[in-house]
Order: sequence, then structure tokens, then C-alpha cells
Amino acid sequence: MVVVLAAFPGSTAGSGSAVTGSVAAKPAVVAKKDTASAHLPGYNTERNAYFGDLHVHTKLSFDAYIFNVRASPDDAYRFAKGDTIGHSSGFNIRLSGGPLDFVAVTDHSEYIGALQEAADKNSPLNRLPIVEGLFSTDPVKIGAAFTRVVEAMGTNSLPKEFGDKKIASKAWKEIQDAAERNNDPGHFTTFVGYEFTSAPDGRNLHRNVIFKSAKVPELPYSAVQSQDPENLWHQMDSWRKAGIEVLAIPHNMNGSDGLMFEQTRRDGRAMDKAYSDLRMRNEPIAEITQIKGTSETHPSLSPNDEWANFEIMESYIGRAKAITKFSGGYVRDALKSGILMQDTKGFNPFKFGFIGSSDTHNAAPGSVEDRNYFSKVGRTDGKPEQRGSIPAEGRKTWDIPTADPNGNLGRFQSWGASGIAGVWAEENSRDAIYSAMRRKETFATSGPRMRVRFFAAYDYPQNILKRSDLATVAYRSGVPMGGDLMPSKGKAPQFILWAMRDPNSGYLQRAQIVKGWVENGVAKEAVFDVACSDHLAIDPATGRCPDNGAKVDLSNCEPTKFKGDAEMKTLWRDPTFKPNQRAFYYARVLENPSCRWSTWDAIRNGTPPNPKLLPTIQERVWSSPIWYAPSL
Amino acid sequence: MTESLSKQSPVRAVIVRAGREPLVHFLLIGALLFVGVLVGRSLQRPVVRIDAQELGQLAGYWSTQMQRDPTNEELQGIIHERVDEEVLAREALRLGLDKDDMIVRRRLAQKMTFASEDTANLPEPDEAVLKAFFEKTKADYQAPPRVTFRHQFFNSDRGKDQALARAKLALGKVASPQGESLGEPFLLPLSYSDASLIDINKDYGQDFASALIRVPLNQWSGPIASAYGYHLIKVDSRISAKTPTLDEVRPDVLAAYQEQARKARNATFLADLRKKYRIEINGIPQTILK
Repeated sequence: MVVVLAAFPGSTAGSGSAVTGSVAAKPAVVAKKDTASAHLPGYNTERNAYFGDLHVHTKLSFDAYIFNVRASPDDAYRFAKGDTIGHSSGFNIRLSGGPLDFVAVTDHSEYIGALQEAADKNSPLNRLPIVEGLFSTDPVKIGAAFTRVVEAMGTNSLPKEFGDKKIASKAWKEIQDAAERNNDPGHFTTFVGYEFTSAPDGRNLHRNVIFKSAKVPELPYSAVQSQDPENLWHQMDSWRKAGIEVLAIPHNMNGSDGLMFEQTRRDGRAMDKAYSDLRMRNEPIAEITQIKGTSETHPSLSPNDEWANFEIMESYIGRAKAITKFSGGYVRDALKSGILMQDTKGFNPFKFGFIGSSDTHNAAPGSVEDRNYFSKVGRTDGKPEQRGSIPAEGRKTWDIPTADPNGNLGRFQSWGASGIAGVWAEENSRDAIYSAMRRKETFATSGPRMRVRFFAAYDYPQNILKRSDLATVAYRSGVPMGGDLMPSKGKAPQFILWAMRDPNSGYLQRAQIVKGWVENGVAKEAVFDVACSDHLAIDPATGRCPDNGAKVDLSNCEPTKFKGDAEMKTLWRDPTFKPNQRAFYYARVLENPSCRWSTWDAIRNGTPPNPKLLPTIQERVWSSPIWYAPSL
Repeated sequence: MTESLSKQSPVRAVIVRAGREPLVHFLLIGALLFVGVLVGRSLQRPVVRIDAQELGQLAGYWSTQMQRDPTNEELQGIIHERVDEEVLAREALRLGLDKDDMIVRRRLAQKMTFASEDTANLPEPDEAVLKAFFEKTKADYQAPPRVTFRHQFFNSDRGKDQALARAKLALGKVASPQGESLGEPFLLPLSYSDASLIDINKDYGQDFASALIRVPLNQWSGPIASAYGYHLIKVDSRISAKTPTLDEVRPDVLAAYQEQARKARNATFLADLRKKYRIEINGIPQTILK
């Protein structure tokens, strides 16, 4: 990280002071990188986009094992590198979009490896009463077993043998060994990690804990020790003091029923600066999209955002209980609360960047391809009928509604093929990618590997978009995504938004900038269209790009030909800017409409798409925000 | 004798008389023997020794978990626990509780596996052996073609024909000294050094990747279509797909050889072990040595 700042002095504002303090402890790495010969193949001072998945479960997770998943961490890495592995429903799976650049296996730390142990007939765990019927291959029984174990975990009544340290150590070692074996600097990066699975009263507070290097604690700190993420952060601080660099990435705020970004501490006490620093020091980025829904914003929170209704999941995690509180469960809303708190209280506990990941429980990193979708919970949703995309019992129409007694079908239907992690890093290595996450130079996509650049400054050269050294100048005289703009000397900030399509996916339709700001003590938001495809100009009356006419033929999922752009590039100056108003800006770029996974399933089955589901989606990419602070 | 007796106190008299009794001698000797055996036994009691090194280790584990050093009282607790564990374990061994216990058996088997691996030194194959092994496994080391090239980009979002025309025009000019920046800014790198063709294929598509192999070296060629628009390309150098020589991948080959040798040794070790036993399953003798 320190190297990066030296290379781009203009971007120093991009890292909060809390972050700088925590990373300063690695002088050895800096010294190594100073020698040009240490660069890996593909090293680029202007940074490359790398795509990955930082949320991956294998058979070592208690739930994945119950779902009949038997693939190991090694299998997960093989899959990410483009190999074929087996799915627990009996077919082979493989990425169609090609290998990923980086992956972390993040199994649930609670009772890690214990279910595999319990399934072993020779193990004493196998004779415990709770194990009875736990390892069925019948999806209905799997569902019941899952619920039983989750409930036992919730009440802390799982037999203590499940928490045997020897079992956990063995699994934790397998995870570390697989990461070590598969890490291949310059080609493929692995991180050691795990998921901290806290959910008070079923309200999701999960986060993935990612370690920078092979130096990791003896065992994970799990939600069995404490459900309060604040205690996790304290533990992470102690690890850091012991030379173990680490960060956590919260996810599925949509399933927290407003808890993830509540405005008090978990124990009910008021937040303060120390709390805010602790949180931001440990959680610089948030996973805003994954298979269990997208947590950017909810239509009820952003009624003026026509694209807010993207892969929305409105139930608790792992059961069909409806969410009632959306505020506190979506990141745009949280970013707004954060800047308001900065104004009123002097600190911002919600100043995070964006990243995506899959949350696959099939040991299949990056498996968020709509045309190649097998969902994520093993044998319970591996087949289209199990996820409600084709009629039940071989019927050809939707006239007879499919029974959904436990609500699983309803939940699986609402899941999306979404969640890829993007980072801008000099090279494909642990150091470079981890540093990118630390400085929030990260982005999230709904699956396709589109690239987005996002920079801000007050005075970019007029011709910057045409200059071949665009990125160099953009870095030198501005800040990249995740950064902080200096206070304005009267001028409104300019933003460079530059996006490129994924060659294996659709064309781009429109580029947008989402702004949140504080006006007279109230946090507000707006979505600006800033560039349109197909020679179109923004309609001054609506502020929107006109319809570019891109449609999808629902009989075969073919998109309308010759619509949309390969590249979108614009320089935008905020017309509503007020120097005294605190604000944040992030980019969102949309593809033309394309078939949702449920429609692909239906076409392959020769039946009409489920009328309850949207037949098409608009794939998208979100950049991390850039923050603006008025001078005091 | 009677006289002298009468001079003594009666108690003393009894003791003296008793001292002459053979039965008393017998009892005394017995008691002495008994005490002696007791003392001897106590000296022979098995010892539980926790040395300073282990104590430090135990305190270390504790500190890692609690993130602070233990107090004196807590240290006593740790010691107590360790001692209890030890005496319980020994008592269990004495009573034969380790027999027919799955966990104990597994742990022992695991330890034996480790031990047998550690004692066996990995082989240092001679050149001929390693070479033969490499010849057999060559395909594992094949490297994709690598290219060093620059390119110029012409966006075709505003019309394919115009982009193609701009690219062709540029191709005519790039021969001139100042002609090398006619292309447009591009979000991906404009120059690649020693890039794997697999990576290029992933980002640009098959047409572009195969053009990099086809076009003449050191001159601008094109236009080539990609998923983004048109490109002019200039390839400075190419390394075709190749199988490396043994010297280039020697450490990997050696590691693979040793891994394979290790597996073979473990298998032999187990097979030999099995030969030392007669194996009966359900009362029926087995011949499972293969």
C-alpha cells in the first residue's frame, strides 16, 4: 500500500487515517517492491482489473456438508482455475467465463469440519442423537436437518463434541494448506479466510474474515465465542498487533432486518469515534451483491431509482421469514447515514467501499453466470424444479401452482446469479490485491467481468478522455474509487467514469453516478445518467438516456443485435454541487437487458418462464464511492 | 535375677521380659519390614514431571488464546489441569482403557504414519532417473505461448466502418516517426510484456489472440477485431508454446518425483506391515496383501 501512495502522490487522500495506521507495520514488503525485478508478470503502475470471489464454502462448512457437498477447498481452487468438478446433484460444473484471478475459501468457522467428522461412522460424534438423519440425500430431509442444526447453533445446544478443537484445527489446516498450494503469484492469488457467522435472532450479521498472508491465528474467532461483531474487531486488532494483518467483509445486510447498519452498537450503547475507528479499521469494504440478493438499495428506500429493483431478497437468511425493516439493511442508505453522522457527531462508521462475491456452497467460486447457473446450496437447489424456474412434476405450464410448504422455493426463486469481486491492483499477488481492498479501490459486478474506472478531481485537463495517458493523469491529479476528495475551493468536482464490457457478456447501455449528500441536516440521494450508448444523448427533461431499443427474444434469450456499446467513457461535473454539503458518489454501469437464470432454465426445459419472476435483468457493475468533505 | 527384677519398675520389667519373647521379635521385624516397604514404595511411586519448557509452552497456549499472560493463580490452574490430565491418562492406560478405543487408535495410527514418513529420507534421484521421470510427465509442464506486444485501439461503438477506416488510416501513418499514438485511450493495458496467450484470449477473444501468433514481428499490423473494437498490433517477440527443458523446471520435477516416491514408499511400508500380521475378517483369514 505504501508503495502505491508513493507512485501516485495525488491519491494519498484515498486512504483514511485509520487504515494507514494499520498497514504501516510491513516495511519488509515495501523494500522488496522497490526493486523493479520483484514485479510479477503483468505488473502495471496504472493497475489492472482483477476478478475474484471472496466468499466460498466447501464441505468443511456445516451447512454445505448437510447439503451433500463433498468438494474440498482444493476442489474450489481447481474450479476457479477453470477445471471441472462434480456437483452434489450428480452433474459436472465448470465456469463458462474462464478462470478467476483470485479466490478465498471462507468456510463457516462455527463447528468447522465437524459435520464431515460426524458423518464418519467410526467417529464418536456419529453416535450423538442429533446426528440421526442428518446426512440424508433426500432434499426434504436435508432441509429439515439444516433447520435442526441451525436452531441448535442458535440456542448453543449443539453437543460440545462438535466444537472439538482438534476437529477445527484439522479443517483450518486443510484450508491453509489448500490456499498455500494454489497461490501462484502473477497468475492466481488465494487468501486464507473464514466466515464469522453471527445472526442474533436469525438477523444476519455475517462477515468474511480475510487474512493478508499465510500468517493466521491458530484458530478462527467465531460467533460461538461472541455474536457481537465488535468483539470480532477487537480480536482482529489483537491479531494485527501480533503481526497478523486481516480485514472483514460484511455481507447480506439485506437479511439483517435492519441490524447490519443499526445506529447504535450491538450492545445498545451509543456509537462514538473510537467505535467508528475500530469498525472502519477492520471493515473497509462491504459485499453488496451475492446469490442471496443484492444489498445496494431497496425500491422502498430509493423510490426515484428506476433500477433499484435488482435481485432483491426480502427474507431472513436460511428461512422464509419476511424482512420488515429495510433501512439499515442496504448500503446506499448506510452511506447516507454515515455522512449525516459525520456532520452531526463527527465520525462515520459506514465509510466503506464495495465488493461482490458469490457465497457459493458448492465450492464453485464465480458460479454466478445466468446462462450457467446451478444456484448455491448443493442438493437442495441444484435442479431447476427445486428453485422454481420450471413447473413441478414435469408439467408444461404454470396453471397449477407449485406447492411450497416450507417457503424454500420462494427463497430460491428470489436468489440471483450475482456477485463477482473486482479490484484495481498493480499485479496479481496477495500484497497488491489486499492493498487494493484496504484502500477500497474495489468494485462489484452482478456476474459479468466488466471493468469500471472511476476518478474525481477539480481540474482534469479538457482533453483527458482522448489522451492515451488517461489513467496516469487521472491518478496523478485526482483520486480513484474508494478515495476522498480534498475540500473544494469553489469548483464542483469532475468525475471520470470509464467502463468496458465483458467480451463474454452483453453490451453496455448506460453509465450512472449515484450521489448521496447532506442538505439542511437531511441525507438525500439522486441517480444521474451520465453517458448513453448508441449515439444517444441524455434527455434534458428527464435526465435519463432515451430507450436504446435493446430487447431480448424470450424464446432463445438472443439480445437485439447492434445495440449498446463496448465502452462507455465520460467526464461529468456535478451540476448540483454545493461546497458546504458533505457527499459521496459512486458509479453504476448497466448492460442491455439479458435473460435471468430462471428464463435460461425454462428455455432449456421447453416451458414458459415462471410468470412470478422477472424474465430479464440488467447486469451491472458498481464502483466503490468517492467521498467529498466540506472544509471545516 | 529375682533380686534385680524386684529393683526395677514393673513396666520396665514387662518390656524387658517382652524383649526376650520370640513372638515380639517376630512382630518387630515384621513392622520394620512393613515400614521399609512403605518407604520403598513411596520412593518408587511413578513421577509426574512438568519441566520448565513444557510449563512455558502451556502458558504460551493460554496467552495466545486469552491475549494476555496468566496470573500466578491462573498458572496454578493450568498446572493442576495438566497434572490431572496426566494422572488420569496414566490410570486409564493402567486399566487398559486405550484398548478398543477408536480415537486413541486413530491417533496412534496417525502418529505412526507421520513417524514412518519422517524417518524415511527423500530420495535424491540420479540424473538418468530424473530425466526418465520428466520424459514421462512432460505434459504437466507445458507453458502456453507468450507474447510481448503493443496495440492501438479504435472504438467502433460509433460506427464499425468509421473505426475500420480510422484504423486503416493509422496503419498507413505508423511507419512515420510520430505516428505511434493515433489510437484511442483504452481501459486495458496498451502494451504487454511476455503475456500468456491464455490470458489474452480471455480478455480479447480468440481472433485477437490468434492474430498475435500470426502477424509478422516488429511491424504494425491490422486492423484486428476484438470484443471491444479494432486494433493495430505490433508484436516485438513471441515464445511459442513449449515444453520446458528439465533444467528450467528442475525443482518442480524433483518435487514431483519425491512426492511420487514418498507415496510409493508409504504404500510399501504399509504392505510390509500388513505382511507381519495375519488378518482375519469375521473369522475368515484374508489375503489382502495386494
